[in-house]
Amino acid sequence: MSSEPQVKTAKQAGLGQCLKCHKLNVITHKDQRCSCCQAKISLRKYRSLEYTLAWTIAAIIAFFPANLYPIMIFTSLGSPEASTILSGIETFIKLGMYPVALVVFIASFIVPLGKMLGLLILIITVKTGSKVDPKHRTQLYHLVEFLGPWSMLDVFVVALMAAVVNLGFITSIEAGPGISYFALMVIFTMFAAESFDPRLLWDNLNNDD
Amino acid sequence: MSVEPVSYDHMIACPQCDGLSTKPLLMEGQKAVCKRCGGKVMERKRDPIRRTLAVALAGLLLLLPATVLPLIGVSAVGLFNQASLLDCIAILIANDYHLIAVSLTIFTLAVPVIRLLAALYISWCIRTKRITPALVHFFRSYHQLDSWTMLHVFLLGIMVSMYKLVALAELSIGLGLVAFILLLICSTLVSVTLDKHYIWEQLENGCEQ
Ligand SMILES: [Zn+2]
Ligand SMILES: [Zn+2]
Repeated sequence: MSSEPQVKTAKQAGLGQCLKCHKLNVITHKDQRCSCCQAKISLRKYRSLEYTLAWTIAAIIAFFPANLYPIMIFTSLGSPEASTILSGIETFIKLGMYPVALVVFIASFIVPLGKMLGLLILIITVKTGSKVDPKHRTQLYHLVEFLGPWSMLDVFVVALMAAVVNLGFITSIEAGPGISYFALMVIFTMFAAESFDPRLLWDNLNNDD
Repeated sequence: MSVEPVSYDHMIACPQCDGLSTKPLLMEGQKAVCKRCGGKVMERKRDPIRRTLAVALAGLLLLLPATVLPLIGVSAVGLFNQASLLDCIAILIANDYHLIAVSLTIFTLAVPVIRLLAALYISWCIRTKRITPALVHFFRSYHQLDSWTMLHVFLLGIMVSMYKLVALAELSIGLGLVAFILLLICSTLVSVTLDKHYIWEQLENGCEQ
């Protein structure tokens, strides 16, 4: 790590930065509060890894019903037709609507899976004290954080279509039970990302110098 | 013998890697990056209070048309239907999808509104120099909201829905959509104009006096 400029961390100086107002506080005891804004502060987020792991596992569990149950029930001329996330994408491909198939596939399948995998990688690299450049892992964290809300796309699409496609008994769209699990999965991964403390990724650097 | 409390007000820690540095003196429009991880440590925005006041006020005025006016409409075989954001929520409640109705309300309505209101209120109080300890607590909660606004995701949802519906029915764009896009722009601009470091400095100074 000779290229890294030697920077002392706040933790080494016994200081905890308030995540709300950025004020540095000398950490003397547990349950300390920030002298500026009275928020609870500590050197690192409390039980960051445990909470991140717990929320990620919850998201992985919700991923299965989210994909197995239908998210949308389309009724045309009296015959209802249920579609899951993946079968909906299949229909688009059959109809030749490739751009929308790709957008939906990325937003509702690749992104949630990638987010859960990314979170697991972050947890494991912190736990094992990985030497992989923390800069790259911080980028991965920001990516997971950034992608968070975008997986809600399908939920909103179904909600809007159900409201607008309601043309009497002839044609209607209804939400399916899968959509609730899907929303839960997205919310769980967002909680997981919020519990993670990116400063943990940099702490390994200091242990060996 | 008690130890003299040391102030670290001239120091700042990187929120991303915890690296300590001396607080830079920034001109308006400048930002400081961390020499360890390259992340943004501090930023001084141009004319933050007046700009935030203007943008937040504009956003709040757009709120009503964006929620109650129809976003899109469909017509097929002589039947016509249109839906606003409120209609989407109402349909979900009518079909017993309470979790989705609550998520939609929180992410596309409540959180954006609270953010705009909070930004307006804080800027107004700082402008008129009415700083109270309660305001400090209030602004602390503001930071929690940033990752939970999903106006942008809903807009992409509207676009995907339109693309899907083109094959099914004739589409029309409602005035609500125009208001919604403008609301999204205002909501995004608030995070651009609002200078958290500046506001925290003002709040801290105001409370000490
Ligand atoms: Zn604080
Ligand atoms: Zn840094």
